[in-house]
Amino acid sequence: MSWIPFKIGQPKKQIVPKTVERDFEREYGKLQQLEEQTKRLQKDMKKSTDADLAMSKSAVKISLDLLSNPLCEQDQDFLNMVTALDTAMKRMDAFNQEKVNQIQKTVIEPLKKFGSVFPSLNMAVKRREQALQDYRRLQAKVEKYEEKEKTGPVLAKLHQAREELRPVRDDFEAKNKQLLDEMPRFYSSRLDYFQPSFESLIRAQVVYYSEMHKIFGDLTQQLAQPGRPDEQRERENEARLSELRALSIVADD
Amino acid sequence: MTDHGADELSSRTGSPDGEDRAPEERSLLHQSLAVRELIDTEVSYLHVLQLCASDIRSHLQQLPQGDLDVLFSNIDDIIKVNSKLLHDLQETAAREEEQVQLIGSLFLEFQEELEQVYKVYCASYEQALLLVETYRKEPRLQGEIQDTIEAVLPQAGPSGLSFLLVIPLQRITKYPLLLQKILENTLPDASAYPVLQRATSALQDVVTNINEYKRRKEVASKYTKVEQLSLWERLARINTHTLSKKTTRLSQLLKQEAGLIPKTEDKEFDDLEESFHWVSLCVTELKNNVAAYLGNLEAFLRFRPQEYDLDIPGGPVVQYCYLARDLQLQAFPEFKQRLEALVWQPLCSLAKALAGPQNLIKKRLDKLLDFERVQEKLLEVGSMTYEEEAARHMYEALNSLLVAELPQFKQLAVRWLGQILCTFVTLQTDLAKQVLQRAEGSLAQLPHHHVSDPAFRKLVEDALGQTGHQLHSFQQNFEKVLPPPTTQPLLPGAERQVQALLSRYGPGKLYQVTSNISGSGTLDLTLPRGHIVALLQDKDTKGNSSRWLVDTGGHRGYVPAGKLELYHVVPREEELRGQAKPHSDSQRQTPEPTLALVPSVPAVTQVSATLTSFKPMSSPEVCIVEVICLRRVVGLRELQQLAQDHTAS
Repeated sequence: MSWIPFKIGQPKKQIVPKTVERDFEREYGKLQQLEEQTKRLQKDMKKSTDADLAMSKSAVKISLDLLSNPLCEQDQDFLNMVTALDTAMKRMDAFNQEKVNQIQKTVIEPLKKFGSVFPSLNMAVKRREQALQDYRRLQAKVEKYEEKEKTGPVLAKLHQAREELRPVRDDFEAKNKQLLDEMPRFYSSRLDYFQPSFESLIRAQVVYYSEMHKIFGDLTQQLAQPGRPDEQRERENEARLSELRALSIVADD
Repeated sequence: MTDHGADELSSRTGSPDGEDRAPEERSLLHQSLAVRELIDTEVSYLHVLQLCASDIRSHLQQLPQGDLDVLFSNIDDIIKVNSKLLHDLQETAAREEEQVQLIGSLFLEFQEELEQVYKVYCASYEQALLLVETYRKEPRLQGEIQDTIEAVLPQAGPSGLSFLLVIPLQRITKYPLLLQKILENTLPDASAYPVLQRATSALQDVVTNINEYKRRKEVASKYTKVEQLSLWERLARINTHTLSKKTTRLSQLLKQEAGLIPKTEDKEFDDLEESFHWVSLCVTELKNNVAAYLGNLEAFLRFRPQEYDLDIPGGPVVQYCYLARDLQLQAFPEFKQRLEALVWQPLCSLAKALAGPQNLIKKRLDKLLDFERVQEKLLEVGSMTYEEEAARHMYEALNSLLVAELPQFKQLAVRWLGQILCTFVTLQTDLAKQVLQRAEGSLAQLPHHHVSDPAFRKLVEDALGQTGHQLHSFQQNFEKVLPPPTTQPLLPGAERQVQALLSRYGPGKLYQVTSNISGSGTLDLTLPRGHIVALLQDKDTKGNSSRWLVDTGGHRGYVPAGKLELYHVVPREEELRGQAKPHSDSQRQTPEPTLALVPSVPAVTQVSATLTSFKPMSSPEVCIVEVICLRRVVGLRELQQLAQDHTAS
């Protein structure tokens, strides 16, 4: 971060020990990655639930359109089947909405909240960096005067420089310490924070798919078409097609 | 064929010799001869069929299987039916008196089966003949075929294959004639007569129906081909003839719509058409909806939230990631693939099958309009041309074809639709089962799996509430990390300017610039960091509250609000001195440092220290300077305290 062009130059003394700097970088780095992941996870989760809702809606449309077709008035069996299908779809859509709401409340909202801390963190880190720059600059200034011949005015300037330096150094130290304390704590808070969310996520799936299994399972029984292997179903489809093609009015291609 | 012998026999008995016998006896004789003929010819017919089906067919190996299927069609089914027929016929021989009656009822019994089985054979006969023609063009192949046939049936003669293939057609048309012959020689008051009569007309019907079926198939194949013509071909088609046809039809239609001529009302057909239209609509809508559903499923599978595990090594997060990965790699793709194969594909085929009937319905309407015009002309002129007759026949053919087959189409289509929907439901059930299996496995490993759902919901709510508070405190802590103190001293002369602003505007309105401002617009100011300004307005003329109007003491203009910080004045040094009594003596000895105004506001930490004249002195001065150059929030008490501390050290 060298956006302040120094007129004086860099200080000679290494004012911040390498280990401290390294620790800081490491902790902040971890948090930066966490921020990225939190953002992506939130976005993907939202998009995934939106697609889920869309899927459910299009399933409802299937049965709705069937129900509104006049064929239902002519054919009682067809009507019964389509009505049962429609009921099932609508119920599933309601459960899906509930599932999405639960996910919204227990996963997406918490993710958002967690993510909202990062701007403050980033600002704090920026300010520490600013403090560091100021500290460096003033340190260099002090060193410059220290190297000069000790005349009266020089000594005066040196004194002044030292006075300016001290509060700035203290400020930087305080910021550094605060962040070095808080950052790891914040980072490890994610464990307790997110575990309930993901538990909730799994449970919501179980609830939803249990309902789905029950509703569609009952419907399958009702429509009296029990489990047949896929090859058999394919053969049946072939048979239906042949029947149609056997009619003269159907084109053969 | 070996029925020549029987014919000769009957013609011989028609000689003058037979005229001596009583007419009744003669009829009876003829009758039994006819019966014999029927049975004998059946025997030889069946024999030939069997030779064709087994010996000849199996020796024609050089022909592809597809060709053989067309040539011989359903000859095996014919053999089955005729074998049964022959067997029952032969049994009737045991019951002499009732034989004729039994034969009659036998044929009535077999009517349906015969029609079904010969219908199919006749329908593919034309195609078979085409194949035979192509073989004839290849002399080597033709020779081989001929040799094979001659080896088995030498009486087939030079036209070998076509001679054999026409035999079933000849036979089915022979039945009414054979039965007729028996009938002619039966007394009208015999008990067998009515049955026999019915049987004869029944077999006649069979032949008629078979012909009709063949004709329909020909008509249909002409029109059901959904033609994909190139533009050139389309243009070539539009000759004056078709053009005049189209314009005539259009004018006919317009006349109808205008009520100038009565529409040929055919309620039955209209109902059928409407019904078909609904089926059409149902299929098309369902196909579109399933396509949308599949599209959404694909979109859903594109997002992979499970890839972000937030660096949490274990517990529910990891469980979820495994579960989601599993579902996305297996359960859902399988579901999608089954949907495509067992629901989408059949729907596409069903939708395609709609094209044929749709075309025919349109053609029928065209022909109907033609027909009506012809009717009009008939009324006017009293006769019609050959072409006009043809139009009428065509319309009637199409009409009867559609009336016969549309109901069947609808029934088959609806049945298939039902099956497809059932499959859809089953696939959903299977998906749910798959997901549940895996999800319940994950659930069992969760810490709160034994907790009921409502209790768990409350648990999560509480947990999130607590951790929410914790987050909030983190946020606040980070916000407490404040901007660094500005070490930019006030510019000389600035102090006076600041005093001026202070006296004009009051202490609450002073702000200091925190970083260099470079104005871009005409009214924007350019100010260095550290400059003091007074606030005139906290928004600009457009209401933008991030642009403030300020007074620098010399100029007025706009600056970004984000680069300003409140600048508070602290009591001057005199007052400070007045209250920090212990230091008053030492302070008086030194030239009064002109103090700069020290900002002291809770959220702000700023330092400004300007000493217009300063001489390095002993520590008391330093202490004063330090006191002044405080960088924290200070009240006067603290100031005092710090001064005390420093003097003591």
